[in-house]
Amino acid sequence: MSIMQYNGGSVIAMKGKECVAIASDLRLGNQALTISCNHEKIFPVSDRVYYGLAGLATDVDTMRQRLRYRVNMYTIKEEREIEPETFARLTSSALYEHRFGPMFVEPVIAGLSKTPSGGVEPFIAAADLIGCLNFAKDFVVAGTASDKLYGVAEGLWEPDLEADDLFETISQTLLNAVDRDAYSGWGAIVHVITKDKVITRKLRGRMD
Amino acid sequence: MDILFGLCGKGFVILAGDTTVAHSIVKMKNDEDKIKTLGPHLAMAYSGEPGDTIQFAEYIERNLRLDQIRNVHERRPEASASWIRSSLASSLRSRRPYSVNILVGGFDISSAAIVEGQEELGGTPKLYWLDYLGTKVEVPFGAHGYGSYFALSLLDRYHDPNASVEEAMGTLKRCIDEVSKRLVVSPSKYKAKIIDKDGVRDIEIPV
Amino acid sequence: MASADGGAYSYSLTVFSPSGKLVQIEHALAAVNQGTTSLGIKASNGVVIATEKKSPSILVDASMVEKVAEICPNIGIVYSGMGPDFRVIVSRARKSAQAYLKVYGEYPPTRVLTQEIATVMQEATQRGGVRPFGLSLLVAGWDAHRGPMLYQVDPSGSFWAWKASAIGKNMINAKTFLEKRYNDDISLEDAIHTALLTLKEGFEGQMTEKTIEIGVVNVPTAAELEEAKSSPESGRPKRTFRKLTEEEVRDYLAL
Repeated sequence: MSIMQYNGGSVIAMKGKECVAIASDLRLGNQALTISCNHEKIFPVSDRVYYGLAGLATDVDTMRQRLRYRVNMYTIKEEREIEPETFARLTSSALYEHRFGPMFVEPVIAGLSKTPSGGVEPFIAAADLIGCLNFAKDFVVAGTASDKLYGVAEGLWEPDLEADDLFETISQTLLNAVDRDAYSGWGAIVHVITKDKVITRKLRGRMD
Repeated sequence: MDILFGLCGKGFVILAGDTTVAHSIVKMKNDEDKIKTLGPHLAMAYSGEPGDTIQFAEYIERNLRLDQIRNVHERRPEASASWIRSSLASSLRSRRPYSVNILVGGFDISSAAIVEGQEELGGTPKLYWLDYLGTKVEVPFGAHGYGSYFALSLLDRYHDPNASVEEAMGTLKRCIDEVSKRLVVSPSKYKAKIIDKDGVRDIEIPV
Repeated sequence: MASADGGAYSYSLTVFSPSGKLVQIEHALAAVNQGTTSLGIKASNGVVIATEKKSPSILVDASMVEKVAEICPNIGIVYSGMGPDFRVIVSRARKSAQAYLKVYGEYPPTRVLTQEIATVMQEATQRGGVRPFGLSLLVAGWDAHRGPMLYQVDPSGSFWAWKASAIGKNMINAKTFLEKRYNDDISLEDAIHTALLTLKEGFEGQMTEKTIEIGVVNVPTAAELEEAKSSPESGRPKRTFRKLTEEEVRDYLAL
């Protein structure tokens, strides 16, 4: 069994029309034994950028602390909030620093970036545990249910979804994918990031 | 082989652990206290590799004591648990990591932790589940060791966050009895501590 | 003020004089004030930095002397003071810009790079065994956050943002001249001409494309930025800072 599967958990992000969504399950396990069903894996960077970390829970915590440190230093030094692209690059370089003794986490990033004309543009990205970035046009996944998430998302996602429809799509994708994964599930949390607000909802999944 | 339990009730948290020290098939001792008091409202139950447990527990105990001497005030349970976690996490990637699993029980007496309408409780009970990797999670109840395979499902069914001390001890007893009944190598004795607004003290497990 | 020989406090760089001064830093400023004049002007759609280039002999190939340097595609700097010190600063600044690019995937904003250079210069005022840098800098750049910016950095490590500034030998006259000529909605073309006119004041010898160096920052249009964004993996970002060629300088001088 891989160390990436030790605690279980999955994250997914999707693009919509002038909005993005990011969601994860809430399980934390010790192999097959569930320890907690209220373990969040998605964290805010700013009002426009969120990221989730799937993988080994101790490294999820450590990575979150490291990224928080680096983002706070960036924000103070540059006197501005970090753009999602920049945050993705920062995450990637933070992971690659440990190329030969990696942190066992796979990040998923979702945010709205500012366009030169003053509008917003959805942005999603994912990386592997050593920081190889993957910029996708549709959706990105990570975690123990990633293979199932790919399958369901491939079937449900369509371009230019409005915030409400995107919420429905990402929720159904996640809930149905984790039902086929013993290491993920036990409820879920979804964040939909739009121009003027972030909608956060907790979902009840199959609790068995 | 050690077994640890922890559960929160209304205005208190209880930690319990078996008292056995064993070397391979031999019981060396059956009155070991595996729960350390770390502060006025903080305690931790620990298990794992025999030498590591005591070494690490004393390291934590003394550093938290130093912290309290320096700052006069006690650290809140969340902050203490976070510090213990980071100690475990940095140990994990060192030359020889500590192999210790922990339940941290605390009672948060800061004004921010006093719940409106429940002022008489004097704060909020807190329980953290930590493993040797540095995994930390706040839980209403938790367990380590073989006991966890029996106790967690019982606690799912019987745990009540608003339970009185008597009710919670009853639930704890259920867990202990189940382990005694079903586990081949079950320990004979347990010790328990309760942490509430008045501090940390031993509590008798009902027979 | 320090006496002619610097007094008892002029040897150890890191010791304050009783009047509260670090006299070595004041001496460094004196070195700057002996340097050839440089100036910068921020326009509505860009920034210009310009300097006078003096050769000790007509036998020197002036086209190989570089006083205006590109640090990264969006930032350029010019100096007054000691040339060798400038080379050190340029190489430090370029390394810093590349290190930033490596982490964040974009070049640093002008403000951040300026701060980085200022830190290097400040460290030289506090560390043992070194002397302060004998130069002042003008940093011109563009970034998406603050737009076009012009900063000045002094040997002490202090820095300010300017609308227009001058450093070096003729700094006082040049600044007075700029104060008269400057207005907030000056265009880049007008700013280049104003820069040349200001340099002309107190210029020693003939002003030619061989004795003048100019760098400009062009603010990209929204369309240009949009285009660069649509193909982010296609390679280098659009260049917003560039040095004018000798031909271009000659054309500006002819007008």
